[in-house]
Amino acid sequence: MNIIERILENINYIGAVALFLIGLRIVVLHSNLIKRIMGINIMGTGVFLFFVAIGNVSGGVVPIVGANPEGSTFVNPLPSVFILTGIVVVVSITVYSLSLVIRIYQNYNTIDQKELAELISEDNNEH
Amino acid sequence: MNIEQLPIINLILFLFMALLIPLLKRRPFKITLILGFIVMCLVLASSSHLLWHVNEVGSFSYTFGGHEARYGIEFLLTPFSALFTWVIIILAMIIYIYSSGDATEGIEQSEYGRYYVLLFILLLSMFGILYTNDLFNTYVFIEILSITTCAIISIKKKKDTYTSAFRYVMMNEIGSLSYLFGVALIYMATGYTNISMVSESIQVAFASYPFNIVIALAFMVIGLGIKAAIFPFHIWLPDAHSSAPSTSSAILSAIVIKVYLLVLVKILFSVFGIDILEQMNMPLILLILSGTAMILGSIFAIAQKDVKRMLGYSSVAQVGYILLGISLLSFLGLRAAFFHIISHGLMKTALFLSVGEIIFYKKTRKVNDFDGMGFIMPVAMGVFSIAALGMIGLPLTSGFISKLNLGIAVLENNYLVFLVILIISSLLNVIYYLPIIILAFLRNEKYHYRMTTIEKTPRTMITPLILLGILIVSLGLFPNVIMPYIEAAVETFIS
Amino acid sequence: MNDIIIKNITRIIIPFAQMYGIFIILNGHISPGGGFAGGAIIGTTLILYTLVFGREKGKKKFSHKMSEISESGGIMLFVIIGMIGMITAGAFLSNLSGGFPQGQLGEILSGGFIPILMIGIGIKVTSTMISLFNLLIDEEKL
Repeated sequence: MNIIERILENINYIGAVALFLIGLRIVVLHSNLIKRIMGINIMGTGVFLFFVAIGNVSGGVVPIVGANPEGSTFVNPLPSVFILTGIVVVVSITVYSLSLVIRIYQNYNTIDQKELAELISEDNNEH
Repeated sequence: MNIEQLPIINLILFLFMALLIPLLKRRPFKITLILGFIVMCLVLASSSHLLWHVNEVGSFSYTFGGHEARYGIEFLLTPFSALFTWVIIILAMIIYIYSSGDATEGIEQSEYGRYYVLLFILLLSMFGILYTNDLFNTYVFIEILSITTCAIISIKKKKDTYTSAFRYVMMNEIGSLSYLFGVALIYMATGYTNISMVSESIQVAFASYPFNIVIALAFMVIGLGIKAAIFPFHIWLPDAHSSAPSTSSAILSAIVIKVYLLVLVKILFSVFGIDILEQMNMPLILLILSGTAMILGSIFAIAQKDVKRMLGYSSVAQVGYILLGISLLSFLGLRAAFFHIISHGLMKTALFLSVGEIIFYKKTRKVNDFDGMGFIMPVAMGVFSIAALGMIGLPLTSGFISKLNLGIAVLENNYLVFLVILIISSLLNVIYYLPIIILAFLRNEKYHYRMTTIEKTPRTMITPLILLGILIVSLGLFPNVIMPYIEAAVETFIS
Repeated sequence: MNDIIIKNITRIIIPFAQMYGIFIILNGHISPGGGFAGGAIIGTTLILYTLVFGREKGKKKFSHKMSEISESGGIMLFVIIGMIGMITAGAFLSNLSGGFPQGQLGEILSGGFIPILMIGIGIKVTSTMISLFNLLIDEEKL
């Protein structure tokens, strides 16, 4: 019983770590390049969820001065600001790698890592 | 305006230069080059002044918007950050002068502007990483650095560039997100991201949440290890090096990897502190990694037929040397590591730039095609030889001094095994560097018909090479010129 | 896309969505939102326009030159505001100590330079969103 309670209390952290690991698995093991980019995004979401979970205060309110009654507990706004930056970064990484994938597709006509490796080794043997 | 503004002015100068280049697109390209050179000279002047100031007057901190450091963003100017920004700007200037000589092989004319935009943003992020005293800010600058590095690799419109750049992006992003996860765990346990604040409260946090700190350390070391090409995570490096333009390879190998190692030093010594590291047996793990890197990196390098891939694997081995110095956790070890960062930066720049010139004019990158090259391109090959001898560690070069220091540091801790590994690795270096020099200079009988030199290279390409050769030799002859600064930098971490 | 329903609905939606984006940018310092969120909304409307009416018409609304200028301009605005604080108060991005008026809490014109910074960020994010999207489209055509 105790274990279940602890899991429920920390469900945010567990979910975040699970997302991170799922993403990592996709990036490392999938051979489809687009799916690997998705893996990066899932990994990122895991880390961002972790950050937000740190900042959460149960029963806390939005941290805006003057919008809440005096003496109420605020949620920590700093992690949210952190992840805003993180989201921007992951968006730009996604766009950059997608444009690379487009170029790869134009040159090799495939976005599968295994086929790509074969094509590249053929290229190297020709030279 | 006082001296404390100089770090931020450096960053603003880089940023403005990067923003200005697209707007100058319709003007002749020479204007951009000259403006960029002026910006670099200004930054060099201010970095030199900062280096002098920090060593003579003392380190200082700069907070943005005048907010207190624990709430705001803080720049910390220590002998460490001042020294390495100075080294970076010097190396970058040499590479800049070289690349302005039209030798950015494989880049189309229309992409030149973009190349320099990327170069300046790259410098901005590296300066930021070294100046900042905040874990999260470091992450932001690391991300800027990794995106620009990937872009500077993939700027060459060639098939294999895209695949290697894609692999680099993926590895890099795993690294960055691992680092960010580490920052999250530290923030969770201590409540700060400011490095000074974290280091004050980490002992308490380690007592109450040991799990957090251990996992954070593991994530951060792995994340930065991927980016710095520490041994088991080096797989992206040779591909990225061999497919990128030579100047990009020089930047990547001589500066960017070193910056990640410096961040690792900062994390290990300033954030976690030696006590926690020793309790977790971190030095042993890093020592084993560095030992394998030193041996296996050199062995892989021997097997390569492509010069640039060979240099890439040699970088893996050299990162092992630096990591060995860091993981000794002693004053001498860190001093050797810092000296080797500088000397390897010079030597690798020289190697990549001279190879770049040879590739540019001879269109060959096979090791076997270097026969008689010493008579065809004496300056490039001469500088290549000096740098290669430095890599082997012959006396009179800076490589000898760094290996000597490393040997002394290893002996101080009584790790005789690593002295043996150091010597074996140097011998392996001989196996792959010496044949090239011998081929180039001593075996020309068969090739009398092409003995004519084709040194029509622009002066902007020759001058940086000669400068690098002189710097390598003079650093080997008078290491004491720079030693006080390195020792001051080490003292920021170990007193 | 040649569907009349989509075209007309897009025409109707876009002004409102852009107004909403501008509202969020301007209210960034007194309520949730800000330059990034608002800029993303405006950028999305431009992407929607390009998707529905095609790249050529989209180019007319937001040309390549304009995105270049606004991208540099957004950052320049930020840095220049920061440098004003550097000159007046001796620290980059000094707000109230740098001489920017505080204003009344809850008003649009309050919080020193933060509304101006938000506008800068909004411009930058808008142009980045649309130029990243255009980049991907152009890449595909090559």
